[in-house]
Amino acid sequence: MIPPKEFIKRIRPFSFLSEDETNILILGLEVKLFQKNKTIFKKGDDRKYVYIIFSGLVGLFDDEIAVDYISKGEIFGIISVRDFPYLLDARALEDTVCYLIYSENFKEVFYKNKRFSSFFSTFIKRRFHSFKKIASEKKFFEEATFVLDIEKIIYKKPVVAGPDMTVENATVEMVNNSISSIVVVDKEMRPIGIFTEKDLRKVVIQGDKLHPISKYMSSPVKTINTKTTIFEAFSKMIDAGIDHLVLIKKRKVFGVITGKDIRIQLEPTSSIITLFRKIIMAKSAEELQVIFNNIKISVAKIVLSGSKFFDLTKMLCTVNDAAVVKVIEIVQDEVSMDDFVWIHMGSLGRKEQVLATDQDNALIFIKTHPVKFARDVNKTLAKVGIPECPGDFMASNKKWNKHLSSWKNYFNDWFHNPTANNARYLSIFMDMRPVFGNDNIYKELIESIRANVTDKAIKALAHDAIHIEPPLGIFGIRGLHKGMNLKTYGIYPIVNGARVLAIDNAIFEITNTEERLKVLNDMGVIGNEMCHDVLESYGFLQDLRLKQQSIAVLNQSQENNLIGIKELRKVDLLILKEALKIVSSFQKLLMSKYDVKRVLSYLHTYR
Amino acid sequence: MDLKDTKFCVIDLETTGLNVKRDEIIAFACVPVQELKLMVNYAYYTLVKPEKYKIESMKYHGISIDDLEKAPSFNEAANNILKTLDGIIVGHSIEFDYMFLKKSFKKIGIKFEKDIIDIILIEKWLAKKDKNMKLDVTIEGLMNRYGLKDYYRHNAFADAFFTAQIFQFETLKLSQYGINSAKKILEIVRGYNYSHYHDNMRIF
Repeated sequence: MIPPKEFIKRIRPFSFLSEDETNILILGLEVKLFQKNKTIFKKGDDRKYVYIIFSGLVGLFDDEIAVDYISKGEIFGIISVRDFPYLLDARALEDTVCYLIYSENFKEVFYKNKRFSSFFSTFIKRRFHSFKKIASEKKFFEEATFVLDIEKIIYKKPVVAGPDMTVENATVEMVNNSISSIVVVDKEMRPIGIFTEKDLRKVVIQGDKLHPISKYMSSPVKTINTKTTIFEAFSKMIDAGIDHLVLIKKRKVFGVITGKDIRIQLEPTSSIITLFRKIIMAKSAEELQVIFNNIKISVAKIVLSGSKFFDLTKMLCTVNDAAVVKVIEIVQDEVSMDDFVWIHMGSLGRKEQVLATDQDNALIFIKTHPVKFARDVNKTLAKVGIPECPGDFMASNKKWNKHLSSWKNYFNDWFHNPTANNARYLSIFMDMRPVFGNDNIYKELIESIRANVTDKAIKALAHDAIHIEPPLGIFGIRGLHKGMNLKTYGIYPIVNGARVLAIDNAIFEITNTEERLKVLNDMGVIGNEMCHDVLESYGFLQDLRLKQQSIAVLNQSQENNLIGIKELRKVDLLILKEALKIVSSFQKLLMSKYDVKRVLSYLHTYR
Repeated sequence: MDLKDTKFCVIDLETTGLNVKRDEIIAFACVPVQELKLMVNYAYYTLVKPEKYKIESMKYHGISIDDLEKAPSFNEAANNILKTLDGIIVGHSIEFDYMFLKKSFKKIGIKFEKDIIDIILIEKWLAKKDKNMKLDVTIEGLMNRYGLKDYYRHNAFADAFFTAQIFQFETLKLSQYGINSAKKILEIVRGYNYSHYHDNMRIF
């Protein structure tokens, strides 16, 4: 079989096609390479092809405004089958290989195969719908910039120097390349420091330009990896009060990003970044409350404009953490930040914060017991717009505001007596992440946990991950007309499964589900395919949930996790079913690995 | 002539072995390239029934004697093969495939003369221009370099296809150095002599 056919057959909805139908498409197939920045078609051009991307990145533009980004395995130019000319400009943003299918052949298959065409009609409607929205509110798309990987805005190769280069030569390099910093690297291209204009000033005032730069460089250097979003990078700069971050790819220097680079991307100011800055500047809880509500709305809009869970959730988490830290700073008076650490658990702990998340926090102290402080923080957060936890998992609850030694005893007890209730505590607190205060307290607790993990606790947690079976029946998803809880049936089994596998493999400080699965994959605990499939399903389920909640925020109705058949598009329904199947096979893996079964009575007593 | 107006055909063969004198072609694949587009609809692949089948070579190409029994002989397939070989022939270690084709055609009384371009030689030329480039001229290495890494099963058809994609990327790179005609590319590949070439002979 020729490779394009194999490739196409793996893409939904082409997988619905019969052999003959696929051959019709292949019959008119051409493969073309578009150079970066080359226009593929222009608005108003006569339709000739439907495009599938084999590799690269394409942007769709409406009067120079980015409407959509399309990458590997995705299709564009579809609307052309409906006898319209192309409605947008398409431009290659990287060197891009496209498969070109003749519109005529595409049309033939389109009318032949109902399942295939229904996928596209929904798809077309969806794109059309978003076009309309863009026309009325073009500004959404500026915001999508924040969730771009930082890698995408790096356009210069890094200028590097060995530690022995003289200040004089380094300065010449900087001038020649018109840059404000030079990265000092070892032989393996790993960064050992950075020499900036600021450091140069030090030399001018009291130094010698013939000295090696290593004498004046700032070290260690703040680094981020290339997959960090622009937004995260920006907040890291603000936090550290610096203007240069070194980008790392495979532990080697990949580039340098400056505050200016980011500001260029973000200006003209768009709402989120401005609001984020405002959080940092805020003085009172009242101010925060207003800002926070606006952020919720902006985020909801971004979600509906098509951003994906994995990108967004980290941004939401950054915003949320900033708000919490700000509240703590507002409230904090006598309490010393060396004496305690503020902990987030649950989805916040996992950096999987979505819009409807409650407060889930706790406090670990080593000297004085900050009772009033914790209560004030919780109350203020509620006022700001992060609701109190109905289960009372909050630092204001005496039970969750304890001395480090008590926390050690808690975990010890939970691991050694994993009753249903204790297993529940483990699943909540094993997602903990320090947010504010003294990190060393947290680290000491982790070391104590490391020594106390037991097999029976692992088994109990495995039970937790498998005991709810996705409602898959022979006729599709059971009970969907009444609404299905995405959290219970789809998201929890994956989150819980990733957690138990992580704990079992002594991964304690990584709490994010995506990161846990990837590390487990690297360690060989789960295979590539399982890792990929589970992450896809997880992303899809979370996207769906996030979309639901965003609609609720914008309509000012109650946010919830139920999804009903009416809210699902045909395509989503199809994918939802696939996603639940993958959840089910992930559970099977856990069942055989930990030798656990679904027991009816267990299920009844458990929840 | 501009590259866009030149016809190329990217080919790959399977043979019963490495000896041009004794061994025979058992599979032929060709992907035509026009206006620098891969014309998948005109791609052609056929098995070729050899006069003598060598069992031990099956472990390299995976084509069984049963498959070949049903295939046309080179003589029978020659017409179709010749028809698809329209334009400059391109391939990975193409000298090898070219010699096999030449010999096979000669055997049935057809004189076969074509211009050939080896994607390995282009790659070497590019590596000389770009000091940062890591040279790996295996098909897998080239696919990686040009972001073509994909689920991939080794056979003549798939190899011809990916070779064509690599060639597409190479022409893009070449055009950045002002190499924008078939004539100039041919000059480049002819600049490499045989000794330079043979250390890269495909290893089965």
